[in-house]
Amino acid sequence: MEFKDYYKILGVEKAATEQDIKKAYRKLARKYHPDVSKEADAPARMAEVNEANAVLSDPEKRAAYDELGRQPHGRPGQDFRPPPNWDAGFEFTDGAGSEGDAEFSDFFAQMFGRAARGQRAQARSGPMPPMRGDDHHAKIELELLDTYQGAERTISLRGAHLDDAGHVVHDERQLSVKIPKGVREGQHIRLAGRGGAGFGGGAAGDLLLEVVFKPDARWRAEGRDVYQRVPLAPWEAVLGGAVEVATPTGAAEVTVPAGWKPGRKLRLKGRGIPGAEPGDLYLELEIALPPADSDAARAAYAALRQAFPDFDARRAQGA
Amino acid sequence: MRFHELHLGEVMDERAFTAEDLARACGRQTHWVHERVEAGVLQVELETGEWRFDSATLVRARRIARLESSFDADPQLAALTADLIEEVAQLRRQLRLSGGG
Repeated sequence: MEFKDYYKILGVEKAATEQDIKKAYRKLARKYHPDVSKEADAPARMAEVNEANAVLSDPEKRAAYDELGRQPHGRPGQDFRPPPNWDAGFEFTDGAGSEGDAEFSDFFAQMFGRAARGQRAQARSGPMPPMRGDDHHAKIELELLDTYQGAERTISLRGAHLDDAGHVVHDERQLSVKIPKGVREGQHIRLAGRGGAGFGGGAAGDLLLEVVFKPDARWRAEGRDVYQRVPLAPWEAVLGGAVEVATPTGAAEVTVPAGWKPGRKLRLKGRGIPGAEPGDLYLELEIALPPADSDAARAAYAALRQAFPDFDARRAQGA
Repeated sequence: MRFHELHLGEVMDERAFTAEDLARACGRQTHWVHERVEAGVLQVELETGEWRFDSATLVRARRIARLESSFDADPQLAALTADLIEEVAQLRRQLRLSGGG
């Protein structure tokens, strides 16, 4: 187990006051907090910063940690074995925010985490009552088509669990998940009993997967409804007629009404995300101009200009 | 390793989560959820007299819990920050869809 230098992680002196620690933590949280940071390694750095803060902002844990640092091998980067009864005389309270334990290092888990609490409690008052395992949360990225057809996805999850002796074991596991039809962005898929292992005979937690759709140039979902851009040739847009569109449910023949209006949408009822109350598919009509890449094509545009001598595009668009 | 075991996922519908589910997801006690519902920070729906929450509220509650503990923030301030984070995400999405980002 590697000794962690929490003072270095927060960038504070060993003599730092509570206020110094709070200030340093906020500065780093602003930089690495997953909700506000754009740094690539933000989640890992934030976990490290949270861990350092969890120890240094708690006077009892900090005192115990300072005592540890005075032990031989209590040096950053060195293999570290805590001396027996290193925590004698320090009483740790199980404060809020213990959800982060799974993301914390081996060092934290052994010294201050749930494993350590379990071992201490066991040593003092016999077997622990059963504790339910933590729920784990992860995101799963799907194609929009997956929700139309249903799918199977294999996901990799990194986590940690406690072995029978209460030690933290880090693991990476792969899970094959059946994605049900009709799942929408932002919804959760629950895999019961696939979260953190229970402790003392307690039940395992659940794994909750938050669904996000991969960006797709063809379509996007808004709740149950799906929006698809449909480019039309100028004559299709103006004269109307039947056009074939590749929708998420397959090819569909759609009648475009004559007379172009910017921003026009066509609704295909029930062709959105499937379900008991299926969503609708909205076709957002756009005009695509044919390229003027030959003499004949340029002549066709010139003929168009001649046909509309009074047309002022800026005035027509209200510009 | 059970590579080939296929796990059936249960889709959580709009009122899938109880106050206890939310509290557990946030690493908090249930009264933490009650206080934030009463303060109007978290949206709740009633189903046969019981409080129920949707997936978006679960994500929001976890975000608010993290903001409160990370920045030692007042619940209303954390909620305001969560509102702004949600709005920025929505605007970034619109920007991407319009081809600008």
